[in-house]
Amino acid sequence: MRLVPRLLVQSFGILALSVTLALVANALRPGGPAPVLAAPSAVQLDRSGGEIGIKDAALLFATGRAVFLDARSQYEYSLSHIQGSISLPPIEFASRFQDIKPQLVGKEAVITYCDGELCPLSHNLAKQLRDAGIKNVYVLKNGWSLWQAEKLPIAKGSAGPSKAGAASQGGICKDCENK
Amino acid sequence: MQGLREQVGLVPWDGVEWMLRLVLAGIFLYASADKIIHPHDFAVIVKAYHLLPEPLANLTALWLPWLELTIGVCLFTGFLCDGALALATGLLAVFWIALFIDYFRGIDVACGCFSSSPEETAPMLWYIGRDALLLGLALFTVEARRRAGNALQLHS
Repeated sequence: MRLVPRLLVQSFGILALSVTLALVANALRPGGPAPVLAAPSAVQLDRSGGEIGIKDAALLFATGRAVFLDARSQYEYSLSHIQGSISLPPIEFASRFQDIKPQLVGKEAVITYCDGELCPLSHNLAKQLRDAGIKNVYVLKNGWSLWQAEKLPIAKGSAGPSKAGAASQGGICKDCENK
Repeated sequence: MQGLREQVGLVPWDGVEWMLRLVLAGIFLYASADKIIHPHDFAVIVKAYHLLPEPLANLTALWLPWLELTIGVCLFTGFLCDGALALATGLLAVFWIALFIDYFRGIDVACGCFSSSPEETAPMLWYIGRDALLLGLALFTVEARRRAGNALQLHS
């Protein structure tokens, strides 16, 4: 075989062999494939769910990576709520979850909140969500009071669940998803 | 032609080529080992070069050490030797250019040539000089292989 075709054939063979080796070795590596490097996020969420702090929640809100579910009554929601949040009192979960479910897909976190240190509504809602198969559910304890205290964006009125604001619009960072 | 035959006969090019090839094989095998064991650390180094988009930097970190290993084994055994020598030379040239680009951009990187530890840093000019020597070694091996082939043809 002439030199150039021989070089090309052999080089291609070596490249193919190395790709195969890399694929097999990384598939068999103890602990699964080698970690793929991702840009580190300032928000480190516990994969098993639980509670989330106001700083993390605000950051996820700003970058449109979370959807907020208001577990309070619809009346309280209409008076004022986290901008873009969706009203979903636990008592209405069965009847409204299927309508809301598409809006939870693709978000890093589903954050439930109500008002007060001892408010059980957000925990009840979080439990129902987990039982329905939603994995990344977090409770923002005393969420509404903390949100107001930090003067974070709020909205008034009884917007329907399909008209969610900031959560579906990418938070206050309008072009984050393009970055 | 007689002069060339005599010249070729003075240097045992097949032996020189074999020795240089083994040295090059050793370098590539040594270079691949630490990076295969620590792909995440190597990915950090590849990303620090700022030459590849993040997904490509990840893939490069996972694949490049295996390419180095394959090239090293091929050079050592003589299997697919011409291709391995061409790829080795090409890789060293690419590394050299990458180091130059980062040097002129003012980016001080850990080379990642033989270690995946980002802490093991040296001046960029040292990396560039060392890679130039390795590239020279690869080119000399190519030339030795060519001359060894010529000598074989002349003697047969």
